[in-house]
Amino acid sequence: MKKASAGRKRSGLVARRAMYGRLFILPWLIGFVFFFCIPLGTSFYYTLTRINITEAGLEFQWAGFENYLYAFTTDPDFTRNIVESVLNIVYQVPIIIFFSLFIANILKGDFKGRTLMRAIFFLPVIISSGVVIAILKENVLISGTGQEASLFQTGGLTSVLVDSGFGLPFVKVITDSIAKVFDLTWRSGVQILLLLSALHSVPESMYEAAKIEGATAWESFWKITFALISPTLVLAVIYSIIDYFTDYSNKVMRMIVLNVTQGRFEYSTTISILYFLAVMLIISAVYGLLSKKAYYAVN
Amino acid sequence: MLNANVDAALGRLLRPSEGSGKKAADRALRVASSVLRFLFLLGMSYVLLYPVLFLLSNAFRAPIDKLDPTVIWIPKHWTLQNFVLADKVIGFAPSLLRTLGMMIPSVIIQVFVCLVVAYGFARFNFKGRDFLFSCVIFTIIVPVQTMIIPLYVNFRFFDFFGIGRVLGLFTGQPVTVRLLNTNWPFYIMSATGVGIRSGLYIFMARQFFRGMPVELEEAAFVDGCGPFETFIKIMLPNVGSILIVITLFSVVWHWNDYYMSVMFYVDDYPLSVAVTGLQERLSLLSQNMSPEDMALAQSSILEAACFVVVAPILLLYVFAQRYFTESITRTGIVG
Repeated sequence: MKKASAGRKRSGLVARRAMYGRLFILPWLIGFVFFFCIPLGTSFYYTLTRINITEAGLEFQWAGFENYLYAFTTDPDFTRNIVESVLNIVYQVPIIIFFSLFIANILKGDFKGRTLMRAIFFLPVIISSGVVIAILKENVLISGTGQEASLFQTGGLTSVLVDSGFGLPFVKVITDSIAKVFDLTWRSGVQILLLLSALHSVPESMYEAAKIEGATAWESFWKITFALISPTLVLAVIYSIIDYFTDYSNKVMRMIVLNVTQGRFEYSTTISILYFLAVMLIISAVYGLLSKKAYYAVN
Repeated sequence: MLNANVDAALGRLLRPSEGSGKKAADRALRVASSVLRFLFLLGMSYVLLYPVLFLLSNAFRAPIDKLDPTVIWIPKHWTLQNFVLADKVIGFAPSLLRTLGMMIPSVIIQVFVCLVVAYGFARFNFKGRDFLFSCVIFTIIVPVQTMIIPLYVNFRFFDFFGIGRVLGLFTGQPVTVRLLNTNWPFYIMSATGVGIRSGLYIFMARQFFRGMPVELEEAAFVDGCGPFETFIKIMLPNVGSILIVITLFSVVWHWNDYYMSVMFYVDDYPLSVAVTGLQERLSLLSQNMSPEDMALAQSSILEAACFVVVAPILLLYVFAQRYFTESITRTGIVG
């Protein structure tokens, strides 16, 4: 008797908590339906049509899956660009994460000029998210060197590595990453900031305790820092993937924008829907894998 | 006796030297690591600062110095002319006001709403939570270009989430409002958690809340605090650095926003859009110049305008980063 009532009480509490949870996310749910699902649905409808611009305005002519068929069978660039993007991300993201963690660790320490260095590493966040980067790319990077910025020449390295018996694809990955140091630092701004704030939230007392127990700096990094910032690392990984796929220098994104400006809105939307479904699949796989490993105070 | 004395003397001799040797090694290591750090940071700063220094150097440079090959970084003739010209063409003051009027309320609303929603996702169990959360991530991934036309139509004929259409059944004509060229599209989207990159902030705040200890909330619950009260009184004051980070990002992305602004504003554009328009307007103004002169005159003015866009946010960051300190809750609980 007593047990049953306690059980009922408990299930009532669970139900009430669930209701509160839904109330908390309600604002987002409204926005999600009205400013995301419905517009996206409308856009999806457009992908099944051919849009003609007439004197009376836009005219939608039913076309079935024509746009989708075109993307997969006729368009020479679509599948190639998507596969290329997916392959690039496999090595780009780990590099970005290691780099950001390294920089965040340095910037966390106390040294003269820390504020200045932090400001410098924040520059990419300000610049590359805005229109300024487009103007800069046009005026600075190209006028300076005559070509897209690659600060390091890697011709010599390539031959050395090939001579010492490494496979060409492997060498290409390495030289590519070196040539892209510039690109890399410009892409890591947000991740550095995220990790920096996470590093700061690790309590100093934990390190002190570990030191008294005789842990080396290396051990306390992996067992304390790494464990406690793991939720942020997951976030940084996901962000890097998203950022890589939605960056305007990405080839598929360029196709999307290009098709809009050419007035082929329906085809642009077709590409982007297919593309973002693929990205979503990748992200859910990565998130599923990583969040099991991450340390959370509550699950 | 003698032996013991010798031992003591030896001990005295050996021990301090042993200690100082270790200290010296420690110091050498520290010096070496700070030198390495300095060199590394110097190199990185070059990579990151190069474009900005370029901007800076060109923005204050008189046109004559652009042709002078001996002028590399530091101009011989300093001038504010470029800024004055850029201001004449785009009008910094009105576009800045436009940006601020759009940005400040949007940021406040967005940050608050994202924290609320993230708290809901982090701490409560309900059916379909994980699915809905993956929808949050999906909203970050799909760019605004994908739904640019439907969104435009939505705010051109804004019907208050369908209420206007229902009212239309009685009045014969749907009640709609034209919200273009106002700040309302930004406010409304921020308030409903789908503003510029809201999904990312929800994700960030949720990760943060999940890392926070539950003890405080349980204590509040035992004391009879409801979940909303707990959120406002316990969680909000303790979010600390994540609040700073989210606000900072939100400010930056509102400040830099281009696509949404182009879509929702008809003529008075905010700063970021005005700057992109600058190039076209300049080429209209300087039509009867030779192409080389034109490019020369334009690039300095453009760079001056870019500098105006970048500088305020950088200053803001320098002030904000001081608050990246240990959050109170963690120290309070663990210690």
